[in-house]
Amino acid sequence: MDSKKKIATVCLGGCSGCHMSILDIDERILDVAKLADIVKSPIVDGKEFPEGVDIAIVEGSVTSDEHWHEIKLIRKRSKFIVALGDCAVMTNVTGMRNYFPLQEVIDEAYKNSVSNDAEGAEPNDPALLKLHDKVVPLQEVVKVDFIIPGCPPSADTIFYVLFEFLNNRIPNLSEVNKLKYG
Amino acid sequence: MQNITIYIDDKKLEVESGKTILEVCRNNNIEILTMCHLEGVLDVGACRLCLVEIEGVNKLLSACTTKVAANMVIRTSTERIKRYQRITTELLFAERNHMCSVCVANGKCELQNLGYKVEMDSIRYPRLFPQCEVDTSHSWYVLDHNRCIMCTRCVRVCSEVEGAFNWSVKNRGYQVRIISDFNTPWGESTTCTSCGKCLHACPTGALWPKAIVQGQLDKKPEIIEELMAKRKMGL
Amino acid sequence: MNRNDLKVISEKAKEKHKKYKHKICVCCGAGCISSGSEGVLLKLQKEIVERGLQNEVEVIPTGCMGPCNQGPLVKYLPENTIYQKVDCENISQIVQSQIVEKKPIEDLLLFSDFHPKPFINAHDDPFFKKQLKIALKDCGDINPEEVEDYLAYDGYLALGKVLFQMSPEDVIAEIKHSRLRGRGGAGFPTGLKWETVYKYVSEEKYVICNGDEGDPGAFMDRSVLEGNPHRVIEGMAIAGYAVGANKGFAYIRGEYPLAIKRFEQAIKQAKKNGLLGNKILGSEFSFDIEVRIGAGAFVCGEETALIASIEGKRGTPKPRPPFPAESGLRGKPTLINNVETFASIVPILNNGGEWYSEIGTPKSAGTKVFALAGKINYSGLIEVPMGTSLREIVFELGGGIQGGGEFKAAQTGGPSGGCIPAKHLDVKMDYESLMSLGSIMGSGGLIVMDEKSDMVDVARYFMEFCMDESCGKCVPCRVGTKMMHDLLQKIYDGKGTSIDLERLEELAIYVKETSLCGLGASAPNPLQSTLRHFREEYESKIEQDID
Ligand SMILES: Cc1cc2nc3c(=O)[nH]c(=O)nc-3n(C[C@H](O)[C@H](O)[C@H](O)COP(=O)(O)O)c2cc1C
Ligand code: SF4
Ligand code: SF4
Ligand code: SF4
Ligand code: FES
Repeated sequence: MDSKKKIATVCLGGCSGCHMSILDIDERILDVAKLADIVKSPIVDGKEFPEGVDIAIVEGSVTSDEHWHEIKLIRKRSKFIVALGDCAVMTNVTGMRNYFPLQEVIDEAYKNSVSNDAEGAEPNDPALLKLHDKVVPLQEVVKVDFIIPGCPPSADTIFYVLFEFLNNRIPNLSEVNKLKYG
Repeated sequence: MQNITIYIDDKKLEVESGKTILEVCRNNNIEILTMCHLEGVLDVGACRLCLVEIEGVNKLLSACTTKVAANMVIRTSTERIKRYQRITTELLFAERNHMCSVCVANGKCELQNLGYKVEMDSIRYPRLFPQCEVDTSHSWYVLDHNRCIMCTRCVRVCSEVEGAFNWSVKNRGYQVRIISDFNTPWGESTTCTSCGKCLHACPTGALWPKAIVQGQLDKKPEIIEELMAKRKMGL
Repeated sequence: MNRNDLKVISEKAKEKHKKYKHKICVCCGAGCISSGSEGVLLKLQKEIVERGLQNEVEVIPTGCMGPCNQGPLVKYLPENTIYQKVDCENISQIVQSQIVEKKPIEDLLLFSDFHPKPFINAHDDPFFKKQLKIALKDCGDINPEEVEDYLAYDGYLALGKVLFQMSPEDVIAEIKHSRLRGRGGAGFPTGLKWETVYKYVSEEKYVICNGDEGDPGAFMDRSVLEGNPHRVIEGMAIAGYAVGANKGFAYIRGEYPLAIKRFEQAIKQAKKNGLLGNKILGSEFSFDIEVRIGAGAFVCGEETALIASIEGKRGTPKPRPPFPAESGLRGKPTLINNVETFASIVPILNNGGEWYSEIGTPKSAGTKVFALAGKINYSGLIEVPMGTSLREIVFELGGGIQGGGEFKAAQTGGPSGGCIPAKHLDVKMDYESLMSLGSIMGSGGLIVMDEKSDMVDVARYFMEFCMDESCGKCVPCRVGTKMMHDLLQKIYDGKGTSIDLERLEELAIYVKETSLCGLGASAPNPLQSTLRHFREEYESKIEQDID
């Protein structure tokens, strides 16, 4: 069925809490599935972000080179980007490292913290992502088409937004009292 | 006091002269957004959320500090006013570190509510992320500069209602900070009576009692007004 | 002293001056002092005594003469010959040549390093020729530390006239007739302001002289306070009489120690001579002035913040209305005017409002003092009739661009003003014309920029100033200026996007319309005017874009 929309969900610099909320839409996923295919998501298989996505739902902020390239790729390959959750929208908890210089944060995590067992060594494998100095929300890097704040946004809110889009309507969070931070 | 006629959003009203535009609007169920205004203490016109358009005046004036005058034609919710209210709100969020999800005031915060009122879904301006201190030196209370919006409600309550004059403001521009006594830790204050009024006056999670967990805060800013009303009656 | 004594004393002082054949003025304004004029003064006084010329030649320190960066300046009267960059080594040569041999020294003449043929009478130099000194009159000719000197120049006669021959209404009518507008920046009609304060009924009223002068590069008010403090005192006393106030405050910024010293000294002398204090000149009018020292915050020049500062509070503005005229210092009706405004009162009363109103342009009467700075040959202080073109100021009075460079723009009004590009060089310097180009007259700072100036950097610089000087009370200015500054920096660093530019423009309008006081309301001016005249410089810095 080609008229079905293609949905992708991605987690960048976030805690996956927003994805938990997506799962919390429970049986309503069936209503979604009638209208759309989930072509890429942490909960389905697939390595690379596919082409021709209609709605990309992105959790988390941009914290590193990897996220930066990923969101640029998502932008190129999707018609519509939905920023999901406070981290994607305004950096939230991930942004709490922004008050400090990056090196201080790394030292705190890998050298000073009592719980580390790496004897003060910083992770430096070239395959690992490179942290940016400052964490930024998605809209600082790409154009974002719809925004759902909240930490996490409730399953009701996520379902409402998806359902409206899939029925070719534009959701309005304020109108339905679903605007919420934290 | 004599009565005068004014027009607010095309509604004709007979009101007492000497009142502020804000008082008149509140008495007539016309919504005006405010943040630095607190019933019971003097107005300073700092947050600029209550700005209204007045015919014949080329500047926007703050409703909380401007008195009504005969035949004034006031507009409270034009597109321009709404746009500016949203920007002000965004700037307030962008200025300090408002991480609602980990804030004691989450769900009980006037700043959050303001965001919902102006339909702010995101902050369109780069956040400043200043390094802010948290003063936990007082045995019962906490001052968290990360959440302070510099409304100075605490300053006014402490001086005008409690008469303790503990709070004041230091520095200029975006570096302003609320200070206790002469810029010393709150716990060492010789003026604070630990009355707790400023905690209720504070609209955000900047002032709160210790032993409160995220989202459990219960602020009652209205007690300041009740207190002042009682005081006026000599109680 | 009563009114008749005043006339006698002033005649006596005139006599005393007449007995000298020559007068040598050594500029002791803050500019010349910093290049060593006090040493020159002492050496000169010694030299005159050593040569036994002390009955023939009078040597006095004076206030600012104008061409500040050519100092120390020494002026000979009556020839009006000015020597520049004088140091102690030159003194003996100057006295020998000028006084004894009556031959000027060409190499030391003012602007001899610019003109092939400098002028022996400085008034012939275009720098002076096109000037008309009203507010600055006598500044540079009299000793600001001696009240007798001021009296010799008809000082306090206007006050005498006002107290005995005019009613407050007459004074206000005369000021209104002159069409004088406030020189503190906004250009509010002075007569109207006086009348408003006069009309409020109150036992107590106040007069405040605003000498905070916080704009970078501005030193008009400092020069008046240093060079002719009695003129300001007299103007304030007249204002007090007109509006019904018996108490005045002069708010002078702490960075002006010399102005403060001379002004306080002048107050003492005036009091001693019955020109201030109880029953001035034997009339029924009493007026006293106190100096208040500002701590160097730009915002304390804003009238409501200044009043808070005088009251001993944190210097932050209050929303207006109520205006100070209704509820100012200690909640009482208060007249607040700028130094230069007060300095213009005495000449208006001496010569009549009609005379003043005919100078300048129909809407902007009189003269304006400008502080020339930047990439201009003769920087310093000038006073010209309103309506003089920018081209005349820059290329005739100012001697053109330094190092033969090209004029790119001039900033008027300091951080609250805007820039005027080369294509508008013929703009008339008056309130309305500058406004129509998106700039303002402001208090008179004029910074000239050459082709090497980067206008985005200029905007960034002024925004930084406003950001640092914002009092932090209201949200739009406190956060908005910081936000605009950061965006400007980002664009200047070549990291900006077109969205940043859009945000900047939106914020500029927002901050302008919503800020509590004039600081925030005018902070976007340099940004908006550079965008208006030099948009391509912004656009050329924007490379990447959000997709
Ligand atoms: C931020 C700011 C700074 C100001 N600084 C000065 C100043 O340094 N000197 C001054 O005379 N007026 C200054 N003003 C203008 C004063 O508020 C006031 O309008 C002026 O002193 C009135 O005098 P006038 O009518 O003689 O111009 C400033 C205004 C603002 C908003
Ligand atoms: S607890 Fe009371 S006395 Fe102490 S700072 Fe707050 S309001 Fe002032
Ligand atoms: S601590 Fe609270 S009440 Fe005080 S200025 Fe900050 S936000 Fe306002
Ligand atoms: S505009 Fe700026 S200087 Fe003026 S009150 Fe607001 S914060 Fe203070
Ligand atoms: S409520 Fe009026 S300015 Fe804040």
